[in-house]
Order: sequence, then C-alpha cells, then structure tokens
Amino acid sequence: MKRLICSLVLTMLAVTGLVRAETLQIDGSTTVGPIADAFAEYFMRTNPGLEITVKKTGSGDGAAALIDSRCDIATLSRFMKDKEFKAAVDHNVFPVAHAIAMDGVCIIVHPSNTVIALTTAQVRDIYKGKTKNWKEIGGPDAEIVIVSRDTSSGTYETFHEKIMDKEELAKNVEYVNSNPQAQARVKTTVGAISYVGIGFVDADVKALKIDGIGPTKQTIANGTYPVSRPLFMFTNGYPKLGSTVFKFCTFYLTEKGQEIILAKGFVPVTSY
Amino acid sequence: MQGTLKETLVPAADSHRPLVLTPTEDMRGFLTLHLGRTALFLITCTSVLAVFLIFLFVIREALPFLAKFSIKEFLTSTSWYPEAVTPKFGTLALLVGSGYVTIVSIIFAVPVGILAAVFLSDIVSMKVRNIIKPIIEILAAIPSVAYGFFAVMVLAPWMQQKFGFSTGTNALNASLVLAVMALPTIISVSEDSISATGRELREASYGCGATRMETILKVVIPAAHSGIIAGVVLGMMRAIGETMVVWMASGNAAQIPSPWWDLSQSVRTLTATIAGDMGETEKGSPHYRALFAAGLLLLVITLCLNMVSEYFMIRAKKAGGKR
Amino acid sequence: MRPGIRIALDKIFTVVAGASVVCLCLVLAGVLGPMLWRGGSAVVFKETIEFRKMQLVLFGRGDEDKIAAEDRQAKIARAKIYSAIEKFKGGIDSENLIEKARQVYRQFGNDLRQTNMSAEDIAELRSVTRNIRDRLESAFASSNTAEVNESLAYVLNFKDDPRFKNTSASGLIELAEQYSKDIHGINLAERQRYYQELRQVEDILVQLLGPTPGTATPALMMNRFGATRWDLAQKLLGQLLWYEEWVNQGPGQPMVKRLTPRSQRFAGTEIEGLFIYIQQNMPEMLEPRPTFYWQYFIDDSTPGHYFGGVGPEILGTLLLTLLAMLFVVPFGVISAAYLVECASDNLVIRIIRMSINTLAGVPSIVFGLFGLAFFVLFFLPLFGAPSKGCILAASMTLAVLTLPVMIRASEEAIRGVPQTYKEASLALGASRFRTFVKVTLPAALPGILTGVILSLSRVAGETAPVLFTGAVALGPVPKSIFDPTRTLSYGSYDMAVGDKLAAMMPHNQFGMVVTLVLLILCLNTVAIVLRSRVFQKLAGH
Repeated sequence: MKRLICSLVLTMLAVTGLVRAETLQIDGSTTVGPIADAFAEYFMRTNPGLEITVKKTGSGDGAAALIDSRCDIATLSRFMKDKEFKAAVDHNVFPVAHAIAMDGVCIIVHPSNTVIALTTAQVRDIYKGKTKNWKEIGGPDAEIVIVSRDTSSGTYETFHEKIMDKEELAKNVEYVNSNPQAQARVKTTVGAISYVGIGFVDADVKALKIDGIGPTKQTIANGTYPVSRPLFMFTNGYPKLGSTVFKFCTFYLTEKGQEIILAKGFVPVTSY
Repeated sequence: MQGTLKETLVPAADSHRPLVLTPTEDMRGFLTLHLGRTALFLITCTSVLAVFLIFLFVIREALPFLAKFSIKEFLTSTSWYPEAVTPKFGTLALLVGSGYVTIVSIIFAVPVGILAAVFLSDIVSMKVRNIIKPIIEILAAIPSVAYGFFAVMVLAPWMQQKFGFSTGTNALNASLVLAVMALPTIISVSEDSISATGRELREASYGCGATRMETILKVVIPAAHSGIIAGVVLGMMRAIGETMVVWMASGNAAQIPSPWWDLSQSVRTLTATIAGDMGETEKGSPHYRALFAAGLLLLVITLCLNMVSEYFMIRAKKAGGKR
Repeated sequence: MRPGIRIALDKIFTVVAGASVVCLCLVLAGVLGPMLWRGGSAVVFKETIEFRKMQLVLFGRGDEDKIAAEDRQAKIARAKIYSAIEKFKGGIDSENLIEKARQVYRQFGNDLRQTNMSAEDIAELRSVTRNIRDRLESAFASSNTAEVNESLAYVLNFKDDPRFKNTSASGLIELAEQYSKDIHGINLAERQRYYQELRQVEDILVQLLGPTPGTATPALMMNRFGATRWDLAQKLLGQLLWYEEWVNQGPGQPMVKRLTPRSQRFAGTEIEGLFIYIQQNMPEMLEPRPTFYWQYFIDDSTPGHYFGGVGPEILGTLLLTLLAMLFVVPFGVISAAYLVECASDNLVIRIIRMSINTLAGVPSIVFGLFGLAFFVLFFLPLFGAPSKGCILAASMTLAVLTLPVMIRASEEAIRGVPQTYKEASLALGASRFRTFVKVTLPAALPGILTGVILSLSRVAGETAPVLFTGAVALGPVPKSIFDPTRTLSYGSYDMAVGDKLAAMMPHNQFGMVVTLVLLILCLNTVAIVLRSRVFQKLAGH
C-alpha cells in the first residue's frame, strides 16, 4: 500500500517536462471571460494538441499578468490604465489592444419592479445612498438593496466613471465578485439593483432604460446607449501573423467568432 | 552504534572482543548520537521556522504600506475605497464586521455547545455517547466551502422568503453557519474538561441532596470553567479566521450595521476582503500591501486569542491535576 | 425551593440538554440532506436521447447504431413541429422575406450585367425592378391589410411582363404569390407580436430539441444538443406552454407574474395545436430512460461544466493532497518523535510547542497570503521555476497548514504506545534509535495513519490557501507539478457564485460540492474505523 502510493507519486513527479503541447495562457476579466472560454473551447476542438488556460479573476489581474509576462493574452473589460501602461513599458511589454466585442453595462432590477427607466442622476443618487426606497422614484414600496461589483472589476470601473462620475458609493453597498453573482442577487431579491454586462441579462432580470435609451444591440453598436464600452484583448505587441495568438485575437472578425459572441449575448463589432 | 545486536546477544564470556569500546567506535557512537539528535532537533524546529517566516513575509509585504499610510486611519476609519482616485484604507468597518459575526455566532453556539457537552459527558451512557460522537466529528469534517455553498444556495433564499429580509446574504446568515462550524470545537474541548473533573465532586454534591441539574450547573461547570472558556475561545478563533463562508454569505458590504442590533444587514469581514480583493490587485500596489496589512492585523488578533486560550488550558490542566 | 419544583426543573434540564443534541443532528441533516439529494441527481437521473448523443460525440461512449436509430425515431416525432412552424413563419417573418427580395434584386442586377444590353436599358430595367422590390418590401412590412393587398396587386401586375419572364426577377413575383397565400387568415396587426413570441418559442425549442434541422451546426458544443435531462426538459416544457409577463397592479405595488397558455396567444393560427402536441409527445421526441452516470467522477467537462463531470477536479484535489502529505508526514513524525523521545522541558522546547500551537491558530487565508508571498514569489524563483501559482506551491502551503495537526496526532500516537514495549526492547539490548524505529513506530503506526488521514481530509477541503497559490477555475489537466490545477474546493466556490453556465445546470453545482463532501466523509470514516481498531489493539485485543 505504501509502495503503491510512493510509486504513484514518483510517477507523477517524473512526468515533469515530458512532451509539452502548445499552450496559450489567458487571464483577466469575468465579463470577457465567457467569450474567451467559448473561443478556447472552439480552438481546442479544432486544434488538438493546443491547450488553453483561461483565468477569470478580474481586469486588473489580467493587466498585471500581461505586465509580468505571465499570460499571452489579457482580457479586459476596460482600457488599460495609464500606470498599467507605464508599468508595462518598464517591463518591456508593449500592450496592443484588440476590441473584440461591444458591451453595454446594463442597470438591472427584479422583473417585478415597476420602474422601467431611470436617469443617470437617479442611479447616482441610489448608489450614493440618497434614495432608500423604490417608491421615491415611482416603484413599489420596497427597500433598495444596492449591489455592486468589487472595486477591481472593469465593469465597476466603467460604471464608476460613466454613471457615478467617480464619486464614492454608499457604505451599505453589497459587493459581489462576478457578473453571474450580481445577476443571481437581483434575480432572487425583489428590491435589488445592480449592473452587469449585456451578455448576462436574461429573462430573469430586467434591464432599465438609462436617460431614455434602452440597451439593445443597435444602441450599443452605435454608441447611443450611455454606458456602452468595447471589450478588449491585450497582447504584448501585435501578434505574429499566422501564430495561434494572432488567430485567437482576430477570431472575432470571422463568422464563427461573431456567432459565438452573439451566442454569449454580446454585440459583435461588425456584422457579417 | 555500540556493536551489532547479534554481538551483544552473545554471552560476554564467549565473545572474542573486549567489552570496552575502541576509541573510534566510541567517537563514532558519540557523533552519530549527537548529530542525529541535532538533525532531529532542526527538523522539529521547522514549525518555529514556519511561524517566523509567516510573520516575516507578511510583515515584509505590509511594511511599505504601514510606513506610508497612517496606522490610526487604517484602524479607525470606516471608508474602505482602495481603488478610488485617492485610495482610502479604513478597516474599522471590516474589523467590526469580523467581530460582529464572531460574537453573534458564539452567542448561538455557546449555549448549545455547553448543553451538548454536558449531555454527552453526564447524562447519557457510554454507548449513546459513542453514537453521537461521530455525528459531531462529521460536522467538524465538512469543508468550509460546503458550508458556504449551503449558506448561499439554500439558506439565503430561504431566509428571504420566510422572513422577508431584503437580502438573504447578511450577518445573520453568516453567523448561523459560523456557529455550526464552531460547535464541534466547543463541544469536544468542553466535554474533555468536564469529563476531567473528578467523580468525587459530583458524588459530594449528590451526597448533599442536589439534583442532577443543580450538580451540573452549580458544581461541574464552574469546576471545568477554564476548559470551557478555552474551548469557547478556540471556537472564536475558528469563526474569526473563517474565509469561505463569510465571503459567500455575508453580503460583503463594508458598513457598520445601523442600528447595531440589525442582523439582517450585510457586513464584510477582514478575511472576505483579503480573499475577494487579492486575486485582482496588482502585485506591489498600495491596495496589495493594504491587504497584507489586514492579514497582519488578523494574525495579531488570532495570536492574542491563542494566548488567551493557552492560558485557560493551562489553568484547566492545573485544576484537573490538583483533583 | 420546594423539592417538587427542583425535580421538575431537573427533568426539564435533561430534556433541554437532549434537545440541543437533537438540534445538532437536525442541523447536520439539514445541511447535508438537500445537498446530497440535489447532488445525487448529477449521477442518478433520467437521461434523454440528447444526452446519449452528447456522450457519443464528446466521450465516444455508447452504441453508435442504436443511438442513430433512436435519433431517427425522435426526428419523425419532431418533424411535425418544424413544418408547422415553417409554414407559420412564411406568413409573418418579414425580415426574412425582405432579405430574400433583396437577394433576388441583387441577383437580377448581376444577371443584367452579363447580358449585352445598353447601359441606359439596364439602368431603366433596374429602376423598375427596384420599384417592384420596394413595393414588395412595404407589403411584407406593413400591418394594414388594405395596403398589403394594394402593394401585392401592384407587384402581381408584372406577372406576365415579357421583360421579367424567365429571368431571376420573376423570383419577386413568386415571393408575392407565396406571400398572398401565406397571409390568408393571419391577422396582420398581430404580426409583430406573433413574430416576437414565435422567436421565444423557437429559442425554447432549440434548447429543448437541439438546433433546428437544416441550420448550420453551432460553433459551441453546448448549443449542439437539446435538453439532456428529463427534469430540464420538463422545466423547458413549462416555459414553452406558458407565456409569462409581468403586469402592473397599481401605483406603489410591485408587478406580478401572469401566466397565460401559449396556445391562447397563438389562437386561430396554425400553431395553436402545436403546444398540446409537444406536451403529449415529449416521450417520443426525447426518449427518456433512467441512468446511472458513474462516469461523472472521471469525465472532463466542457467550459462552465455544462456537460461532463468532475474528473480533473478530483485528480487535482488528490494530487495536491498527496503531494502535501509527502511533505508533511516526514516532518510531522520526526518532530513528534523528537518531542516525545529526546525533549526535556526547557525553554527551547517550550518555544517549539508554542510555535506549533501558534501555527495551528493561523487563519487559512493568512496561509494563502504566506503561500503567495513566500512560495510563489520568493521560493520558486530561487530554483528557476516561473513565479506563478502551481501545484508545488499550493501543496507546500497546505503542508505548512497541516503540520500542527500531523505533529499532534503523531505525538499522541507515539505516547500511546505502552511503556512496556519500549522497556522490553531496551532490555534486550537494542539502542534507543533501533527501539524507536523497529518497535515504537510500528506500534504507533495505526495512530499515525489516522492522523495522516485526518490531515488529508482537512487539506482536501481547504480553499483559501490554494486561491492564490495554485487553483484555477478553468484549465487543462496539469502536465507537471509546475502547472496550476482545478480542484474540487475552488471549483465548488466558482460554481456556486462565479459561473453563468453553471447556474443553468444546478445539478452540476451540487454534484461538485457533494463529491467533495463524500470524498472527505469517506476518508473520515476510514480514519474512525482505523482508530477504533487501534484502540482495541492497544487495549489488549
């Protein structure tokens, strides 16, 4: 018994350094994550022997991984910040952005909420804690449960910049770590309000119109929806033509790629 | 070594060697003994080394932060906005959150725990005790992520429906589950120390005409009080150091509930902050270092609790030994 | 106090104390029960033909011919649905019709360029055709019956026009004829609503029965199959049969959900009877059968755990724990041996014991921080390994975490060996080292093994230390110990809160956490059995 365990462990250790297939390391946003997952699945199916690892821990971590050369592609739901760019250049990494899809940060509420539209100022007041009950803005008599993404998220950055005008959130805001978690909170809580990427809006939640414009594929594609944003993949320099990284980063231009992006609920950059 | 076993088994008279060791053998034996002992000693010291390294590395990563930002603000401000344009690192809300869920979970766990310990040691027979013990061990063995899963997938929606809370992930949810996790520790340590109080105590009490309840409440528990307190403090350590359950079930709102007794509000603990923020922070940024500072804070708190429980354990042993 | 009251209080106390233990048992049942039940459905459930097809494609499992035969059967039952929908769509799918008209126009334009007509003639012909196309489009888009008939009449006027006969422009005429036939009996005012609700129905049908026959195979594996489980199919059937909308109740009140049967929404059209047909023919279309999917524990999964099992997670957890044990057992046993055999009660030993107790009290997240700061960022680069999370770093962190447990258990086991064994061996002339290795250690071995298994179960369940040191949510099966891995513990967390696809398959979420709990419970049961055997043995058979 002991001998079996020993030999098993030794075999596992001995496997170090054996035939290594081609690997691709992708790190970053939880919003772009599903797209990267789906691309990865497709690529691994059509290129056996290729191994793709996708980590979804946040745009900030993706940028840090690219700067440390720990990943080949960083997925970010926001553009790289100035200090990230500076740090990258200091590390001899030259980030190149590929905008692979368009996304809109949708303000979502429970479907039973009678509110269907809000202005940016109203949303700001809610998140600053000034408005405490839905009936103050024309909704049912229910306490507002404010849910936000954690502060290292790209979705949070977009929301904070475009709607909150960089002001502080109220103290009683609940923080969740991912888009699906935010959606799950709103789905199960009658008084909740949160924001997610458009790929995470389904029949269980309701997306509100902001300043009179609702988030649809058209309004996001032509930028009229106030909180629309591109989703990025960053590489170190422009990828070598014909390499796997190149194919991965330009997959969004192909029909299959756009089909996948649509299937995930996002808006393709062009229409094929 | 002092010769092979075979040689020493042979009667001394038949051996062709003198019984006295040659100088080389003596030296060899001396060296092997002491070198061996030193080697073992060094290996044993790895635990000391580990503790030392933990402190060293956590302090090393936290120090640049502590040097730059004011410690007073770190400990007393309730504004935790680490990624804002001017970052604010106030952990008071987080500390209060950790303390809040710990204390509430202890309030739930201590009565149940002590009663259960008393039940197991004094009231039921050995057979029943040996059936119930495994149940407590199973409770202790369930991993924290399973408890967290239960808290967020089963308990939170149930709480929202049944009690009409505006949010199911709140302090009450986290406290209840932490109480369940702390119970096995409290029960086993309390039960050990209650069992360790001698029979004479109980017999003397019964001899004076006390009922079982009076004996337990007025004689046994006070006699075992050091061990029970040690158990409770160990349970507190488990609750305050728990990460997964609070990360999933407490809602993560960095606020101090107002009013203070409102358990249905969302809170955030130190552990959940570290776990939640670390994955996405840039290595070396002030946010990263602030998280290590929070970890240092946590370490110091659990260290103090550890020393308190040690003190009570020693007192319990002394008390047990006297009798 | 009167004696009667005191006795009553005593009895009440006994009951209350008993109640606390009963409470404990109930809590255990309440925590494990729902999880085991729902997790169990990941392995024991009713599968459908879609599941069997998926298993064949993804894992190469199953009898290909039999499955193909069943698939053909199912397709026969489903054919009626698709034809009814096609027919209905013909009348209302304006976008599609407009696109077709445009294609015909483009084709005609291309054909004209191949002929040798003069440029002005071509331009004139094209402009006439463009007019026809525009009128046709307005006929498709309008919901006013009079307007539609007028436009169609305009187009059909050109039916016998010699310029268009036998050219591709006659396609426009054909479209007009087909359209006037299709819209017979459809209330055009409702067309917009029909179109939207039909889209909903089609979406649900795709989830239920797989991609519509005739369309291209979807790129993603999860979209290629319909409902793989009977319970999922029933849920989708519910969505199909009932139309859900939220209605206003009045000012200040939340909206309420109202369900109307879909057949009512499509009353008077061809697909009114479709819904009853689907409901009655579900078994023929999906061919459900109960199954025991034990391969759940060895299969890999598609991204998001939509299909497949937890094989790589189990492998990752086992690798981590075994490697951690490999590090911790020697250190733990040797330290315990030293503390029992050679240590005297002086300051150094007191410091060591204090360190062991301190280590036992450090929170697991601080171990995670330590693992990140020391093992990943400092230790690994010393040996030239890349400074990223990997199995090696995670198992070393877990080893440090579990060191105190190991030392305590070993110490207890070694101390538990009766003095008589040791004295007998020494009396026979064996040296202390030999005594320890050949006599004490084997006698203490069952106890040490119990300690190993208890540490193993603790390590397998830990999440916080591996978060930053070696666990990933999605990744390939690790090839070496310098790769990160998926684990059951981190996977359970990710499934519960992080994954959109996982939420669509709740049985997979519960399945993973139940696998973890069962693994740990099994290990603990083995430890308990071992311990009672040890107890018996040392007590003297």
